Amino acid sequence: MSAPEIPNLKSIFANRRGAPSRGRGRGRAHAGASSERAEEVRDTAVRSTDQDAAGSRVSCVELGYLDDPYAQLFATQASTRRLPLLNRGTYVRTSAIDLLVDRFLQTTPDAPKQIVSLGAGTDTRYFRLKDHYPNINLRYHEIDFATNTAAKLARVNTNKQLYTRAYPDSPPDVFKLDTRPTTHYSSSYNLHALDLRSLATASDDAPPPTLPNLDPSIPTLILSEMCLTYLQATTVSSILHTFLDTYIPAPTPISLVLYEPILPNDAFGRTMISNLASRNIHLPTLTAYPELEDQRQRLKGYGFIHGFKAADTRLIWREWVTGEEKERVAGLEMLDEMEELDLLLKHYCVAWGWRDGGDGVFTRAWAAVLEQEGA
Amino acid sequence: MSIGGSDLDKAIGQLRACRPIPENQVRELCYKARELLIEEGNVVGVDAPVTICGDIHGQFHDLMELFRVGGDVPDTNYLFMGDFVDRGFYSLESFLLLLCLKVRYPDRITLIRGNHESRQITTVYGFYDECLRKYGSANVWRYCCEVFDYLALGALVTGATTSLSPTDGPLADNTNIDSLPDSDADIEIETLNANGEIMYRYARNSDSQSSAASQANSNPASSSPVAPTPTRTGPAGTGASGSANGSKGNDTGAILCVHGGLSPLIDTIDKIRLLDRKQEVPHEGAMCDLLWSDPDEIDGWGLSPRGAGFLFGADIVKCFNHRNDLSLIARAHQLVMEGFKEMFDSTIVTVWSAPNYCYRCGNVAAILELGEDGSNAGFVRRSNGDQGGGNGGWVLGSNVGNGNNGGQGGNGNRRLSSVLGDSMRPREGPGRRYRVFEAAPQDSRGMPAKKPVADYFL
Ligand SMILES: C[S@@+](CC[C@H](N)C(=O)[O-])C[C@H]1O[C@@H](n2cnc3c(N)ncnc32)[C@H](O)[C@@H]1O
Repeated sequence: MSAPEIPNLKSIFANRRGAPSRGRGRGRAHAGASSERAEEVRDTAVRSTDQDAAGSRVSCVELGYLDDPYAQLFATQASTRRLPLLNRGTYVRTSAIDLLVDRFLQTTPDAPKQIVSLGAGTDTRYFRLKDHYPNINLRYHEIDFATNTAAKLARVNTNKQLYTRAYPDSPPDVFKLDTRPTTHYSSSYNLHALDLRSLATASDDAPPPTLPNLDPSIPTLILSEMCLTYLQATTVSSILHTFLDTYIPAPTPISLVLYEPILPNDAFGRTMISNLASRNIHLPTLTAYPELEDQRQRLKGYGFIHGFKAADTRLIWREWVTGEEKERVAGLEMLDEMEELDLLLKHYCVAWGWRDGGDGVFTRAWAAVLEQEGA
Repeated sequence: MSIGGSDLDKAIGQLRACRPIPENQVRELCYKARELLIEEGNVVGVDAPVTICGDIHGQFHDLMELFRVGGDVPDTNYLFMGDFVDRGFYSLESFLLLLCLKVRYPDRITLIRGNHESRQITTVYGFYDECLRKYGSANVWRYCCEVFDYLALGALVTGATTSLSPTDGPLADNTNIDSLPDSDADIEIETLNANGEIMYRYARNSDSQSSAASQANSNPASSSPVAPTPTRTGPAGTGASGSANGSKGNDTGAILCVHGGLSPLIDTIDKIRLLDRKQEVPHEGAMCDLLWSDPDEIDGWGLSPRGAGFLFGADIVKCFNHRNDLSLIARAHQLVMEGFKEMFDSTIVTVWSAPNYCYRCGNVAAILELGEDGSNAGFVRRSNGDQGGGNGGWVLGSNVGNGNNGGQGGNGNRRLSSVLGDSMRPREGPGRRYRVFEAAPQDSRGMPAKKPVADYFL
């Protein structure tokens, strides 16, 4: 019963990299001061999620999953080493969004484009894109709470690699540096210190806050990588109407790329909800849009009528990542958590929808991007 | 300082309270354990009755729940199929307690090696860090790793009965009495919840497929979260304690227990016996495969996505069982949301004993009790040529309805019989009593419990 035809799979059993990890401790998400208002406690918990994301990126960079020279500059967690299955998930998340962004930027590459990253936190995408597409005509906006934008700017302003990319027009003003700014505006990189919920309360007599340098006339991709999921579904809906009707009105092409959890009702989903609740983290859109089909319909409902698609990250790993790249990534670490990985990847999705106009930039950009069949 | 007699009982008491024992006692314990394990063959012989357990992964409080549900040592005989350490926060206490019990009651408890009982894996998945944190040095980790090298690679259970004496426990909430087989039927499978209540029961040679499907709906394992008041209603672990239960049927073929599965380099159990096991788990070869492989709905052998071991299909299992006169392979290694999963016409079962794995997965856990053959006939082939089980894999849980396993298993069957003819009829499987349990409430036992913080993508 020996089987000479078996390929030698051990060639992909790669060396484990790096030293033994020093535990995965993390700061508690909230101080639990009972005098604080519950909402403040929650907001603090939500703001702090950014360092989870930053730490996960660093873990991936250190192990060779991701190539991101900037990740380390923003991470403050003492220990960032994540388990192999989390690294795999972060890899899929980042490379999936990179793929959609790349296809957008590469479609009619000379035409001006705009990206608005909601709850960008310490995301490094802008800096990576600057290196990747040095001559691109791209206007990049990030929105986050002032605490987070201030921390990010403090880092940007004191690191040459960062500020040379963030200040395309003029070098940073040394006088401003010690005032701990919360906003930054330039022709290519903008940081807006805002509570996104303030975009939702806008009515006719109270227009939404102005976002300096936001261009209403160029194709715009809105990114919500684990951001809108922390807000109430109705709030999210109003925020998007502000973008689609007021900031970037038709016929300007506009799209939304979401990354967030799904499937709240099975055992894993229920456990996720209760575990995160104990960190004071709540994910209203998880229960509002439990399945992939709900995600598609929601995009359509916002007005992304020319395309509304979704795929879970398990499918994305299988179908979007090339065979060669899969082999490279699988070889980075021993992964003895296949069933758990499957569960985890099944519970996160990327959803992308667009309202086109003019030459149909999004339709062309994403025509070949595979979505998931059925619900 | 030596660890024997009363010292050992003291250490057991301390570990049961989830408190680590001093480093010098660990050294002594590990030395004793190695002396004991070195005498065991690569495949340990174990007599039924025995309760077979899957991965524990340092979930100490859940291990205590397992003992509550399955009966305490030494009243119940246990066989743990490896992966004692890593992932959970109490690998040290869990492994040392099991080791103490092994040294104290060597004939009552069998420990075999899992793929996590390895230097390399424990440095990635937590046990190394835990030892460092709890002792300030890697010494204890080193002692434990030396024990790992001596753990057996498998176990062969003989003397199990083919037919369970039904428990007279009450019915679980959702169980319909009419769906249970007659009281005089030959019981092949019984599933009980953590309170000893009957969740479902199957008679041998009944229309098992349909009864599995109809009763799956009543499986509380997949519908209820945490059982609020765990009060026992029957004696714990009666199936494996050698008491009156489980002593009615005939002998079955032997049951091979191994952490992962089969290896293309191993076609007989004797070949396992010939391996040199006293080493770190190698990256490839037979020993690696036994600890790393997984059954899968494929024909023959396949590449494992884990990067070690192989995938193997129904045909491989059936050939192996036939050739080695086995009625069943019991293995662990893969998370199963329902705690256990029988595949390939019940020729192999996965048993998973870490509920809410990693404090994140939301799964239930199970242990498998094999009763003792009352006639004590030993290793005698049963004349009844009838084949047990249905014609497909069974998933006794929430995902029964999808029919995938049934279809695939059926294919495997056809393929096999055309190659091997009637002589390939599998041995009638042992009677199997599964006890399904949920995660222990961590604060309920006065034991120190770190509040678990599971990682998610935020
Ligand atoms: C989990 S982090 C994700 C960061 C980044 N998008 C990434 O994927 O790496 C969520 C971010 O959303 C921001 N956020 C959440 N609610 C917000 C709100 N109402 N207004 C502004 N920012 C918000 C948080 O402050 C945090 O930086």
